[in-house]
Amino acid sequence: MSSDGLDLRIEDLTVVYGGVTALDNVNITVPPGGFVTVLGANGAGKTTLVRSITSLLYLHKGRVRRGDITLGGESILGKKSPDIVKAGVAQVPEGRKLFPNLTVKENLLCGAASRSDVDAIDDSLEQNLELFPQLRPLLNQTAGLLSGGEQQMVAVGRALMSDPALLICDELSLGLAPKIVHRLFELLTEINERRGTSILVIEQNASLALQHAADAYVLELGRVLIEGTADELRGNPMVQELYLGGGGEAHTSYAAIERPSRRPEAHGRRPPVSES
Amino acid sequence: MLLAFGNFTADPSVNLQLLIGGLALGAIYAVVALGFVLVYKSTDVLNLAHGEFLMLGAYFALTFLISENLNFFLGVFVLLLVMLVFGLLVHYGIMRRMVGQGFFAIVLITLGIATIIRALLLIFYGPTERARLDLLPQGSFEVGGATVRYVDLIIFGVVAACVLLFFLFFKYTRLGLHMRAVADDIEAAAAMGIDPDKVYAMTWAAAMVMAGVGGLLFGHVTGAIDRSIEAIGLRAFPAAVVGGLTSLGGSIVGGLVVGVIEQFANGHLGTKWREPVAFSVMFVVLLVRPTGLWGRKDVERV
Repeated sequence: MSSDGLDLRIEDLTVVYGGVTALDNVNITVPPGGFVTVLGANGAGKTTLVRSITSLLYLHKGRVRRGDITLGGESILGKKSPDIVKAGVAQVPEGRKLFPNLTVKENLLCGAASRSDVDAIDDSLEQNLELFPQLRPLLNQTAGLLSGGEQQMVAVGRALMSDPALLICDELSLGLAPKIVHRLFELLTEINERRGTSILVIEQNASLALQHAADAYVLELGRVLIEGTADELRGNPMVQELYLGGGGEAHTSYAAIERPSRRPEAHGRRPPVSES
Repeated sequence: MLLAFGNFTADPSVNLQLLIGGLALGAIYAVVALGFVLVYKSTDVLNLAHGEFLMLGAYFALTFLISENLNFFLGVFVLLLVMLVFGLLVHYGIMRRMVGQGFFAIVLITLGIATIIRALLLIFYGPTERARLDLLPQGSFEVGGATVRYVDLIIFGVVAACVLLFFLFFKYTRLGLHMRAVADDIEAAAAMGIDPDKVYAMTWAAAMVMAGVGGLLFGHVTGAIDRSIEAIGLRAFPAAVVGGLTSLGGSIVGGLVVGVIEQFANGHLGTKWREPVAFSVMFVVLLVRPTGLWGRKDVERV
């Protein structure tokens, strides 16, 4: 049993921390059952976007100044985070954020905090172990001692324990071996296609995200710079230059575009930006 | 040279007596430290009002068990219930507004709460000291030349039962699991749909109930009940730190260790050495193991 995907609409969203604007008039839509990715470098506002949807801004003294966020047509802005999880939003936080001193099983059970039907929770746990068979022998291990890849599986599994209508993954690929990241994205696609769960992936690894997502947005310094289908973005010279490590003739046209002064730095596993 | 400070003795019965007294005192420290560590671990608040919480428990015990003369078990039930309500009051009335504020701002708020409790007790109970509680069986028996009081034995048993209850609660209940999750990572917990607000409220309530138990027990062994017994909060501080501020089990062992060391310092060196020795132990432990004996940094692979 699984919820059908719900559509997420972010409308004219402006978020500030103190006097600093982190998101400026952002519009993003995830259709029901859709697979959308938001690309951007560090500081683009990606994590603020996630915090806005999941109502965790208050922990960082941020607030929404303008705009609305709706899930399945209903506004979820201003709701408390437990109610948003109940409404169907689950997230895999940036850096996984497992509960390091809890066991794998306890971590997974925490993901079901919004539910009370014990049998249904057991079913979800079983589904998770079918999805990630590697986790079965690790159920009683302390989560903080697992490898990065295993931890990320627990993080995805934990999010799925709430039987979400919308799954948000923040920087799934960060710090993981490419092989594991590929496998995780395949699983996301599978969840998206089989269960109809809407998926929103926030990524720095643009090439991988654009392979799996249907629609994509590029966030730059708090604004949506480019939007379109994943195919359109793959063909966009600016995206190629900035996020796919492309070069060639894109350079000349790119140079003409007025762009934000802060270029994304080459980061970890992201293909380096060519400077030639 | 050092011998000049006190009367060292190798007499086993004297040392056994000190050990027994130390364990009884340590059990009380343990129960205070447990409440202290519970709040610190779950909510990241260094609660300097915990001694006052315990004093509140002792005064309420006077009211419900002596003045109102309720049946012992009913009286204890009412006492703990009232403490629970006060715990919720502390959270919903004050601490809730402080979530996300700076660490020291919150520490100062707990000092404020301590002051308010002292003032309220002065207003409602007056400045006169009261006789200690005498509801537990009096009397004693002899073991190997040392005297064991029933009261001390009961205190030890009650503390052990509380610890066991806590352990089972954290390990096997949903709320216990959610409390541990919030302690590990509040943001991740909130993102999973766990309401930190509720968890914090339950933490303060539980700490207050523990203080109620502590006040009831300490009220039986203190010289008299007056507004100086809040000092137990400060005395239990080395216990919590030695055990490690983040370890519930550590706070128990820390309490017992500090209690025994204090008693030995008291017996062999003289009363004035009790606190200096207890705090010295704390300093030494902190120098060698900054996280306390059982405290740990979070298990985390990066």
